[in-house]
Amino acid sequence: MRTLLIILTLALPPAVAAEDTGIVFIGGGDWGLPIVQEDTGAPGRVDDFLLDVRQVTNGEFLDFVRAKPEWRRDRAPGIFRDARYLSHWPKADALGEGNAAPDRPVTRVSWYAARAYCREIGGRLPTMTEWEYASEKQRETLGVAPEDYAHELFSWYANPGAGALRPVSQGPAPGLGIHDLHGLVLEWVEDFQLVLGRGDDIDLLTGSCGDTARFLPEFDEAHYATFLRFQSRSNYQPDTTTSTLGFRCAYDPE
Amino acid sequence: MKPFTLTLMAGTLLAAVTQAETPNSGHAGHDAHAHHTPMLAEPVEHGHSLFHLDAAWQTQAGQVFKLEELAGRPTIITMIYGSCTTACPVLVNDARRIDRAAPDAIRDELQVVIVSFDPTRDTPERLADYAADYEVDPKRWQFLHGDPADIRTLAAMLGVRYRDNGDGTFDHSNVVTLLDAQGRIVERNEGLARPVEPIVEALVKLRASSRAAGMAAW
Repeated sequence: MRTLLIILTLALPPAVAAEDTGIVFIGGGDWGLPIVQEDTGAPGRVDDFLLDVRQVTNGEFLDFVRAKPEWRRDRAPGIFRDARYLSHWPKADALGEGNAAPDRPVTRVSWYAARAYCREIGGRLPTMTEWEYASEKQRETLGVAPEDYAHELFSWYANPGAGALRPVSQGPAPGLGIHDLHGLVLEWVEDFQLVLGRGDDIDLLTGSCGDTARFLPEFDEAHYATFLRFQSRSNYQPDTTTSTLGFRCAYDPE
Repeated sequence: MKPFTLTLMAGTLLAAVTQAETPNSGHAGHDAHAHHTPMLAEPVEHGHSLFHLDAAWQTQAGQVFKLEELAGRPTIITMIYGSCTTACPVLVNDARRIDRAAPDAIRDELQVVIVSFDPTRDTPERLADYAADYEVDPKRWQFLHGDPADIRTLAAMLGVRYRDNGDGTFDHSNVVTLLDAQGRIVERNEGLARPVEPIVEALVKLRASSRAAGMAAW
């Protein structure tokens, strides 16, 4: 029996270990964002970091709000959240059905609220570079072709709020052991306001195709799909809350 | 001490030059610091108090400081980093120009807060040197060192974008902001070496409206 257990343990993929702790280690490396900010000539570098396997759920956020009542929707100062903050919950301290159920990703949270949550549990929001790096490593690990990645994203981004949200982390964690990087809800990153190049006076939302092309080192579908994600980030204010925007936390290695 | 003095001189010179050449240009000084590109500021539309940010900062004197301590009097606030030799000295000088242009009775009560993006290098000791070089009133001027997460939060509240380039430099928006006595944003001046009048006039108006409301103070 003991032997069998050991064999079973050895046979488990690393993702399962991450599933237990809820946090996955992402090894760093040389890497630059797929959207050009400015070519400084120096290769980008991502340090090792830890990332939540799952998006933060309503249930987890309710625990936070109970521990930190200053983040209740009826108490959080207006500077930290817009009027729709947690408005899908039936009460300020109670969950409900559907998208307000405990196992659904929390949405309608501002950047300030997401950061306060992560800080409370000893983490932080991932940086944009970390998030994008995890996404790219996940794609590589899964062996998803760039065109397939693009097509999946196009169909999701075309209608991100379609229908009811499913629970987070259904089934085994794919790739690096991370659930729902794409396809459930979009996610806050720490430095979402840095989507543009250095001082470029360009509006990503209304930029021409020429502007778009300037940000893409390679003009293919996959880069364009990624660009759409950057474009959506450029539309947020730090107090913004939407039904399609949640978050997960990151951590520095000990 | 030397580098700070040089920085200060460079900044003052730059301010003088850009002011003389383009007094009304929206982005005065743009070309003067080509290796340091400003980032456009975010629009700020909220009317809420910044005093909600419950962060513990450290002043150049090494004392713990909370933004709510600014309550009761107006404040000029801007964000810089100490090893910046281009835009930042101009921003600090802009705050000082506003301070000097304000009527005496207002200046006596005006507070100025300079917050560093760079907590690693801008220790309170270093900020003390920096403050000394600017020869400003240490009772009214605070140079703040803070936690990286709090710096990012404050920047978001002020609509200031910045990026750590990893080589000791930061890209950032150039904004000087006036807060009222309740910590709300009253006026923002984006750019370098901009005319001081809009903020000085806003200060005078704030004073007048609090007087009209029968308040002795702000």
